[in-house]
Amino acid sequence: MAITRIDLPQGTLDLLILRTISLGPLHGWAISERIQQISSAVLQIQQGSLYPALHRLERRGWIKSRWGTSDNNRRAKYYELTKSGRQQLEVERDAWEKLTAAVAQVLGTT
Amino acid sequence: MFSDLRFRLRSLFRRNSADTELDDELRFHVEQLVEQNVQSGLTRPEAVRRARLAFGGIDQVKEECRDECGVHFIETLLQDIRFGARVLRKSPGFTAVAALSLALGIGATTAIFSVVYGVLLRPLPYADSNRIMAIFEINPKGTRSRLADPNFDDFRDQNRSFQAIAKYEENDASVSGIAPPARQMIADVSPGFLKVFGVQPMLGRGFSAEDARKGAGPVVLVSYGYWKQYLSSSPDLLQSRLKIDGALFSIIGVLPAGFQFPADVSLWVPADLDGENLSRTSHNYRAVGRLRDGVTVEQANRDISAIARHIHETSSEQGDYLLKDGTVLPLQDSITGNARRPLLILLAAVGFLLLVACANVANLLLAQATVRERELAIRSALGAARGRLVRQFLTEAFLLSLLGGSLGALGTYWGVAGLLALAPENLPRLDSVSISLPVLIFALLLSTAVAAGLGAFTAARATSGNPRQGLTEGARGQSGSQGSQRVGRIIAAAQIAITLVLVIGAGLLGRSLMKVLQVNPGFRVDKIVTMDVSLPWVEDPKAKASQGIFFSNLIDRLKQIPGVRKVGAASVLPLIEGGLPDGMFVLMTQNEMPKNLDGFNALFRQKERIGIADFCVATDGYFQALGIPLIRGRIFDERDGADSPHVAVISESLARNRWPGQDPIGHTIEFGNMDGDMRLLTIVGIVGDVREYGLDAPPRPTVYVNLFQRPRSAITLTMLSDADTQPVTSAARGILRDLNPEIPAKFQTFSQIYSASLGSRRFNVILVGCFGIVALLLATAGVFGVMAYSVSRRTSEIGVRVALGAGRADVLRMILGQGLRTIFVGVAIGIAGSLALTHTVESLLFDVTPTDPLTFGGVTLLLIGAALLACYFPARRAASVDPIVALRYE
Repeated sequence: MAITRIDLPQGTLDLLILRTISLGPLHGWAISERIQQISSAVLQIQQGSLYPALHRLERRGWIKSRWGTSDNNRRAKYYELTKSGRQQLEVERDAWEKLTAAVAQVLGTT
Repeated sequence: MFSDLRFRLRSLFRRNSADTELDDELRFHVEQLVEQNVQSGLTRPEAVRRARLAFGGIDQVKEECRDECGVHFIETLLQDIRFGARVLRKSPGFTAVAALSLALGIGATTAIFSVVYGVLLRPLPYADSNRIMAIFEINPKGTRSRLADPNFDDFRDQNRSFQAIAKYEENDASVSGIAPPARQMIADVSPGFLKVFGVQPMLGRGFSAEDARKGAGPVVLVSYGYWKQYLSSSPDLLQSRLKIDGALFSIIGVLPAGFQFPADVSLWVPADLDGENLSRTSHNYRAVGRLRDGVTVEQANRDISAIARHIHETSSEQGDYLLKDGTVLPLQDSITGNARRPLLILLAAVGFLLLVACANVANLLLAQATVRERELAIRSALGAARGRLVRQFLTEAFLLSLLGGSLGALGTYWGVAGLLALAPENLPRLDSVSISLPVLIFALLLSTAVAAGLGAFTAARATSGNPRQGLTEGARGQSGSQGSQRVGRIIAAAQIAITLVLVIGAGLLGRSLMKVLQVNPGFRVDKIVTMDVSLPWVEDPKAKASQGIFFSNLIDRLKQIPGVRKVGAASVLPLIEGGLPDGMFVLMTQNEMPKNLDGFNALFRQKERIGIADFCVATDGYFQALGIPLIRGRIFDERDGADSPHVAVISESLARNRWPGQDPIGHTIEFGNMDGDMRLLTIVGIVGDVREYGLDAPPRPTVYVNLFQRPRSAITLTMLSDADTQPVTSAARGILRDLNPEIPAKFQTFSQIYSASLGSRRFNVILVGCFGIVALLLATAGVFGVMAYSVSRRTSEIGVRVALGAGRADVLRMILGQGLRTIFVGVAIGIAGSLALTHTVESLLFDVTPTDPLTFGGVTLLLIGAALLACYFPARRAASVDPIVALRYE
């Protein structure tokens, strides 16, 4: 907890999840590991909050799940993007980039 | 959207497997975390601890996941329903009373609504029935009247609003032929009739222009019902003939089932086969028309009105009987117009009953909510959101209302049957009253509305307090919840107010009925058997005379039936709907008899010579059988043969008003426009007034002429008999068959006619009375409930008071005083409400003002008495509180 931790802005978690599994199916644990790794542990999410988000995305039809076997031969639930999830990822990524660019611009000029 | 639904449903129905999956998934994650921690060198317990910290509360996560799956809403609903059902089951007494109250209210309201719907709202069973209009003349008095032939012809030929227009007129006749003789209602209709209703015969053909031509061979259309009953549904009748009032008619077609206009008619024949009546002041026909597409009722109204005013300005027949204007209104309104107000009043009355019932249930729920205050306090302390509690209450109210509503709808089934049995015969369209889909939808909507109201009310009440206060107050279990007790008293006061309005309404109607029953009708009602006989209609004076002889023979024979004391006959009996025809007579002597029509018209313009009266054809026995008293002079007797000078007997009010301060006996009048006989009538006697248009209508001036001098085809015989009705009826039937086997007769007792004439009044009194009584019981129960509850909550307070020296009488006075305040508030509002509302029933009252002090006073006392009684028992219990027990209470 002592490491600099950034609270994720609303809705960002969804974007991160979509991006993370866009490379291939992953189970929940792997998703959280991957996010931490790639963000150099800056984005530390409360691991529990991952699952409600996964279920929400699944209900919206952006990701789908199936049961598979993990690297260490355990039964695990894998999530992957659906077609509409892939579109959604593009939409959200665009929105995010516009947002950050705009914020950066504002910060830079002041 | 679809995936969303499928996902939710799967989560819901595969709840267990979904749960296990979620479990597995989360466990996998936590185990991975633990594994990682162990590998980084932690002891296993420490690794587990850290993992749990990093993951967060597993149950919470699961709950959130379920929320995300969308199971939550449905799930809580089911949970609420289960919980609600448990709550209702746990207090069966409360549930039973509440559900029955609602069942009563909803059931009664639905039953009345089914009548309102069937009579007023349900469209007439014809294609585009809202385009069918009734067309009227407006007479100089401003009331709607039937149409004279030439006026109808002008309407038909000059209007630009109707695609089809027809006149019709119904009367009864004896019909025989294939079937045994029976009296049937027959409509004379003009050619456009079927087109107006958009009806085609199901068999055969409709009327052609040829059929309606003057002097055409008579043809008849029969109703589906007549075809089935009398013609045994035979398909090849079309060349058969019916004998209608002695003439043969060819059957040309059968109208489809369900076509029944005018009501009760089973045969239709073309009108005016002997030519039209050329007078513009003989109002013989009613008229209907179907609007052209795009024409509004107002446009048609202006159109007809303009034609009518043109007739008024240009006609040579000026006077009190010529139309002044014309009007158009939807046929449905014209059929149900008179029934509208009484039915809406009944609906309002039953609505009041429903309100009182709901108030009772609201009070029960309130008391229950107070008992459950602790439960609520605990639940909200444990984190139940206010919305969740509100939903719980709404669910419970819905369960209760649906339970009550279903019971009520079940009860409606019998209620409607009862209403139909009770309904007055003259209520139009009774055959279209049934429990139909719209009625059931109404019941469902009503239950839903009640549920929403009750649920919102209890929820608002129960969740308004703060939980901590609830906990502490609940813990003390004492005088608290002042707020909810006050609400309870307000509800009880409202119940009293509404009940008062209802019972005052019932009282006013009831007193009117009593006053009507006390009215002296001017004739005897009991022990009279009536017999309608109608011979074929004839115009030839000789044929008429022979019909007079026929009736004379019939009367002589009927007199010989054992037990029969007097036999008379009249054209129309008092209290029969429709009544006698009225017209204008002229005072004149034989010397003044004009030579031509112009001379008559000149006489009719002399105001001092004319009088207006009803025209009744009767026999001497009629006055004797009905006990109509002779005031002066004489009634008809054997001196008045067919060839003697014609005589008349007049009613007392006519004598008084037409000949004030004079003796009318010996005067001669001419009243030939009623039956075509121009011979003068010499007034020979004055008889008592008769209320022929109903007990609640003033007697009308009447001129009686002698049946044996002025014979007519259709009469009603009246037999005053000491014997039972049955043997007299069968003897009379035998005698008639003996004289002429083709003449049908219809029997009734005069008591039945009397009773039927009070039908609508009785219907209203019984219904509003029942509603009033039930509301009174409910309100009394409501007051009792509130007071008993209040006393039980105040037990320990009362104990303290008694311990401190208050006497029994003080406690009694305190509780009664509290009750009285509620009662007086309710009564005051109720009286104010009644004063504002009772004028709406004014048209249904007789000899009673809408603010009748006796009714207001009596009902108020009754209500205060009942409510006080309801307060007395709880007060007595309060007074007998033992302070020691009371202080230990809880």
